Formats: sequence, C-alpha cells, structure tokens
Amino acid sequence: MVAIVAALLVALLIPTAGPSASTSTAGTPPGAAEPDPTHALPADTLVTPPVLRNASREPNTVEVTLTATPTTLSLVPGSETAVFAYNGMVPGPTLEVYEGDRLIIHLRNELPEETTVHWHGLHLPWYADGSPFHPIEPGGQADFDFVIPQGTAGTYWYHPHPHHRSAYQVAKGLYGAIVVRDRDDPLPEVAEKLLVLWDNRFLQDGSIDLPEAQSMQGRIDFENGREGDVLFVNGQANPTVRIRPGEVQRWRIVNASAARVYRLGLQGHELLYVGSDGGLFEKPVPTDDVLIANSERIEILVRGTAAPGSIVTFQDLPYDRYIPQTRPRSWDKPRDLLTLQYTDETPLRMEVPSALRPVAWMDTTDVTARRVMVLTQGFINGKTMDMSRVDEVAELGTREIWQVENLVGMDHPFHLHGFRFQVLARNGVPEPFPSWHDTVNVPKHETVRFIVQLDDYPGKWMFHCHILDHENAGMMGILEVR
Amino acid sequence: MRGSSGPARTRRSAAILAVIAATGVAVAFTSGPDGPGAAREVGAEQQVNRETILKGRQLVLEHGCGGCHGGDANPAAPGFLAGITSPAQEFPIGACAEQPGAEPCWMTRPRNLTPDNTTGLGRFSERQIFNALRFGLRPGETADVEITSSTPGEGNFPLSPKYLAPPMPWNSWRHMPDADLWAIAAYLKHGLKPVSNQVEDSEGPPDFWASAYTEETFGSYPAPPFPAAAEQEPVDRSLRDRVLAGRQQVLEHACGDCHGGFQNPNAEGFLAGASAPGQIFPVGPCLEDPSAPCFMMRPRNLTPHPEAGTGRYTERQIFNAIRHGLRPSGTPDRDITPETFPADPDFLGPGMIWFEVRHMSDADIRAIATYLKHGLKPVNRVMEESDRHPDGWGTFYTDEEVGTFPAPPFPTVNEVGG
Repeated sequence: MVAIVAALLVALLIPTAGPSASTSTAGTPPGAAEPDPTHALPADTLVTPPVLRNASREPNTVEVTLTATPTTLSLVPGSETAVFAYNGMVPGPTLEVYEGDRLIIHLRNELPEETTVHWHGLHLPWYADGSPFHPIEPGGQADFDFVIPQGTAGTYWYHPHPHHRSAYQVAKGLYGAIVVRDRDDPLPEVAEKLLVLWDNRFLQDGSIDLPEAQSMQGRIDFENGREGDVLFVNGQANPTVRIRPGEVQRWRIVNASAARVYRLGLQGHELLYVGSDGGLFEKPVPTDDVLIANSERIEILVRGTAAPGSIVTFQDLPYDRYIPQTRPRSWDKPRDLLTLQYTDETPLRMEVPSALRPVAWMDTTDVTARRVMVLTQGFINGKTMDMSRVDEVAELGTREIWQVENLVGMDHPFHLHGFRFQVLARNGVPEPFPSWHDTVNVPKHETVRFIVQLDDYPGKWMFHCHILDHENAGMMGILEVR
Repeated sequence: MRGSSGPARTRRSAAILAVIAATGVAVAFTSGPDGPGAAREVGAEQQVNRETILKGRQLVLEHGCGGCHGGDANPAAPGFLAGITSPAQEFPIGACAEQPGAEPCWMTRPRNLTPDNTTGLGRFSERQIFNALRFGLRPGETADVEITSSTPGEGNFPLSPKYLAPPMPWNSWRHMPDADLWAIAAYLKHGLKPVSNQVEDSEGPPDFWASAYTEETFGSYPAPPFPAAAEQEPVDRSLRDRVLAGRQQVLEHACGDCHGGFQNPNAEGFLAGASAPGQIFPVGPCLEDPSAPCFMMRPRNLTPHPEAGTGRYTERQIFNAIRHGLRPSGTPDRDITPETFPADPDFLGPGMIWFEVRHMSDADIRAIATYLKHGLKPVNRVMEESDRHPDGWGTFYTDEEVGTFPAPPFPTVNEVGG
C-alpha cells in the first residue's frame, strides 16, 4: 500500500513533458492597430501583445472595444487548443493610456457563460471594477467610462472575475496587460519590453488540463493553486529577447498566472528593481532576483553587462511557497522563461538615472481604523465569501492600516480592489522605502502591514487571495466603503 | 524527557504510527471518518470562567497534551504546550517509522498550543479548537463554523476534510463530552500565556490523511452502543453506570492505542493486549543511541480474564496502577498514602503514561477499573511482561521529568488567570 502511495505521488507531482512554443499572439508598437507582427521576426523572438486600437478622436481620451470569445488557437506546437480569448488572442491586447486620460471601454461577452473584466489595480468607480457584483451575461455587453488618476503610471492588467469562475476563465486564456504611462516618464530613452507571464497545463490532445475538483490533481490544484508545466511569456515558451552590449532595457513584467509565484533572475546579471504594482520607485534597487507573486507587476532594468554574443537565460528560480502536503517535487528546479541574446554590436554607454520619481510615505498619524485579516487555507478570518454579506465597513475618504496575518504553511498573495496601498512592514521589519501595491504576497506564517487611503469611490470592494483557485473557493471578503 | 525519548512521546509514537504505517495511506479522496449522528450538542459551548479553565487544565494534563506539545504533564515546565523546539521531537510517519530512510516518510511536528497570535492558537477560535478535537480538522484549513455532521459535505463538515497528522489522537479525544472539549479550548485560549514559537508545518500526503483515518481502525464516533462485541453487561447491574463511565474514560484516553483495538469496542482483541504492529515497542536509551540498552514494552491484556488479564487484580490495584504507576503484580493490594507508598516501588514501564492519566479524578479512575473488571469480556490471551528496569523505573520517574501529583497550583509561570 505504501508503495502504491509513493508511486501515485510521484506520478502526480512530476509534471509531464509539455509543449514548448506558441504562435498565438502578435505584437506591434504602442498606439497601432492589431496586425499580425510575427511575419518579419525569427520564430523565437519575443512578440509583444498589440495595443488596443483607440477609436476616439477626442484628446486625452482612449476608447476601446474588448470582446471575450471562444476560439481555437495553437498555444502549443502541433495542436489546437480551445480557448477563451480577448479579441481573438492570448494574451489579450494591451490597453495603453496616459495618466489623466478618460478611458471608455466597450466590453462584449461572447462566451457561453457569465464573465466580468476586472481592471486589476486601477482606481475606478465600483460599477466598473469588474467584480462578481457586476456579471455580464452571455451575449451581453457593458460600457465603462472613467478617468485614470494622475500619479498612477505603472503596469496593470485585466482578467475575468466572475464568482467561482475566475480560475477557469484565466486558465482558458483571458488575460491582458494595461500600461498607464506618465507623460514625463523618468526613463524616456530606455527600450521597453512587456513580459506577461502565464502558465498552463495541457492534455495530449492539446486541450487545457482542468481536472475534476475532487480528483487527486484537482485537490492538489486547489491547495497549491493550479500550476502548469508550460511557462509562457506573452504566449510564447522561452522566447528570445535581443540586447546590445551596454544597452539598458526596461522590462515591465505581469504575473498573470493563476498561482505560480516567480522568483525572477537573469543568469550572471544584477537586476535593477525599479517598480512595483503602482509604478516606479524613487530610485533603482540593485538585486539578484525579484519575487513576483501572482497578479503582481514589477519593473526592472536589465543592463547589458555581458560580452557581445553572450546568451543567458531569464529564469524562474526555486521558491518554496507550498504547503508540505502538496509541494511539487520539482519545486526546487529552476525553469527557463526567456533567452537573452546579446548582439555583436559595439557596446553602448547608457546611464541609469539615480532618481526616478518621488514617492512619499502615506501619513500614519491620521489613521482612522486598523483591521486584522487572518489568512488560513481557503479562508479569511475563518470565513468564505458570501456575496450577501459585508465583512468590513469603512468610511469614504479615510485612511486605514491593515494587518494581514498568514497562519498557515503556504504563501497567500492578498489583493485589495480599487485602492492602492503602501506596505509598512513585513513580519515586523519596516519596509525600506515606499512603493505602491494592490497585491502583496504574505509568505507562510508571516504578517504584512499596509496603509491604504479609501478615497473617491464608495462601493463594495473585494479583498482576496489571488491564488485564483483559492479566490474561486471563497477566500475572499467584502469591504464596503460608504 | 521532553526529547525524543520521553515516555509520553514513546507511547504516542508507537501504536498509532505503526497502524498508519501498516495500513498505508491509500490516497483516495472518498471519505473521512464517518459515524452516524456525529452532531454535537447545539449550544453546548461553555462560558469561559475560572472553573472552565481549571477543568480544561485538568483535561489537558490527564490527556497528556504536553507529551508531544511540550512540558509533558508539568504546567510549570519550560515550553509547556508551546510546541516542539528541536527536530529530535518530530515524528517520522510512513514507512520510515518502521525503517529509517524508507519512503514514504512524513514528519509530524506538534504545534504551539499557546494563544500566541501568529505562532500559536491565538487567532483561532475556541470553536476551531473544538472542531480539531472532535473531528480532527486542522484549524488552519477548516472554516470557523459549527459542524453538525462528520459526513463529508454535510452539516458544515468539509467535503474534503483535512485532518491533523498522526499521531495526534483526536480519534480518542473526540469521545470526550462537548463540555470537556470546550473546556480544553478555553484553557488553551485563556489559561496559558502566549509563547512565540513557530513550529514548521507537519508533512503528510496530499489527502491530509483522509484515507488513513478509517472507521474500521479507529472506531466510530459516537462509539457503538454498550455492550459492543468485546464487552458484556456487568453481572451486578448496579455497576452499569460506573461501567459506562469507565468505558467513556477508556475510549477518550486512548487505552486501546497500545492495549489493542484502538477506540473500537467491536474490534477483536479490544484491550486484550498489544497485537497490532508497533504496539510492542522499545523504550529507553536505545531510542537515541541504537547501541544503548532497550526495554521492550508489551502492553498487557486488560480484559478480566482470571489468568491472562486483570481478573488477577483488584480494582484497587488497577486504581493504584493508574494513579501511582505501581505495577499490580509487584505491589501489595492496599490503599496508597504517603505512608503506605512502597519503599521500593515497582513502576509500570514508561510506555504506560500513568503520570498523565493519574491526573484523572478518583471517580474516573475507579470507573475505568470497574469497566475493565466488569464491562469487558475476558480474553484468554497471555502477554509476556514488559522488560523491567533494574531499579523498577524508580529513577526514571522524577518530578522534574513527569511533573508532580497533584499538579502545581494554577497559575504556574506558564499560565495566566486566577
């Protein structure tokens, strides 16, 4: 019996060999329409999701249409996969706006089921948040109209958020990036790459592997959050980015995975960590690797410090976020995400600014409420989500400190809708500098404190674990701002 | 004592671990322990007051929580109930419990039970502690709700239950009355000082032991009606209430974990002496040094057979065994007082956790003796005696190691209240 158990564990915890490339997406420079950009590029070159076409002729206005629809794409070589896609592509097209822009979105649901689109991280009216409170029926549509606040330049993303179905719909391919630009960007000369990370698992026929909830794999998927053995960057497996020696590139990275937490490192390179969910820091932070939990975004500067012709790998390095019972056996193996290929050109000389943008600490002296959020496995404060229940009530315009305590043996990334926050301390250690977040990873048995300003928009805002399988199961609560 | 060779730990690490290892873990997700009518009494939650806390303290001591969670039965001991502090206090579970290095192997790490918010039980409700003790559900993986069934998916019982790791004997503790479980929860939450000690998570199979905790092995909850297959009505019907009270104590104190049949009075060989793998186990220095001497513990036949079981002894001798740890075969049949305590005591071997169960009330211990003598069918199963220590274990059972009886006054340095 014991041997059977061991064999089962081995069979279930070692991923099967997976496909290695995708040709499903296309990319063009920002502001253009959505042509297929792959025609002139080597097959392994990283392609950038195209920017959503702006239909507005008004100044400082971006008007876009996004349609979620079932389709079939080749996500893996040699097979077709039934997916859900925004505007026919996985990942969906990138939504680009500037701070202060009016953003008008026409959303059409051509899926066979309800959906919503959550504009993850944006500060916007409640009705436009795309939370489970505002589902869009199959065949239905919704229009959103709001203004992007000043000072919120950064990288965001959009994804479905229907009750109990987020994990499924993201697994089917519904995700895309949002870039909010600053007209006075402190890094104007730096070439930019958008990297949207996603992983998935496929059956041999190319279909997406979505096991029954009560099956062994279904249970493991619930505990860990569903992870895939195929890691995608902009829909491609291990694409190539080229860099000229001495060049500095700005990489905006979105973790659109349902559960995978990436510890990102570039072989032989020191990274400059320059931004989080809500945009740039005050100054670059040198580091060997950066952790990006699911739904988080980071910005890094990659400096071409290696010799001409060098080839190095951008990797997901081992990080143990798992509860022991379901920790994958391969958790401690690095995984390749992207190949960085140096050109043979003569080296450039590029300087990195020592100052990026001012980010002031929020004042903690006028805090009106302190809340404790206790995270356990699938529960917040011992409860699962109830759409008819309000878990926390706050006054509009006030400032609060939230203490998020993770009592269990796996990480839980905690996301608050609608309002950005600043982390004050992690496990009692003060945060070294201020930065903006809408999600913060709370490692196993650790505590995170953050401060948040609940301005502008009353409504019922979700807070939840962003492991989508946990969110689906109800590891979520409601903050009503009145 | 609080290391890997502690007597309480020895008891815990023997029978339950062995049966888990022997039966294996069929990683299926079909069901958990299932018993009809497993609902608890609605509204049985106890008001927290000093009396409740003291009751919980007594229950914690007599059930030996400190044997694994720290401090043994001594509330004044450093680290009392504050969780393990060394890898040597971990329990290997699985094939490695029998053979070091074998696979699969999971480590169980008894947690910090003090009310520290981040490392202990401070953020868990008394209801979650109740649910852990009654249903074996991990507080960190289970909703804070009232559970009225032990059938997965019904009455708030999780569809995919996640159980505490062996050797946590929740399948014995669940037989305590509701009020006792609430009292334990009250003591842990309100009677202890918080201690910050983060214990690494226990390991286990991905079904969180659901397939290991079978009714066949561990019996049902509630227990089957008396008399079950291994039991009999007392000839003297006036003893029936005390027999039933004793049965309750036997079940909730896990006597069957070592003496046979676990908590299943329908099981063949229930309390008739060690029979399952691991129920005969070594104690002594060899646990830490394989080349050092071992003493084999052979839990005896407790049924009232006149030659093979407790039929040879009086209820007073059984009382003295439980209260004072005095081996019935080596101790005169008399009331034990400080004056009459043997000058050269012949103690039970340290597999028997008399230094924990001695904290039961006189009435409870007498009830156990009555149950063993009058409520069980005699089984003619001769067990070899456990190995005797040259000094009758007298030097082993020091106050420092096993605490004092009675327990030190409440509150000790580890406790709060008064």
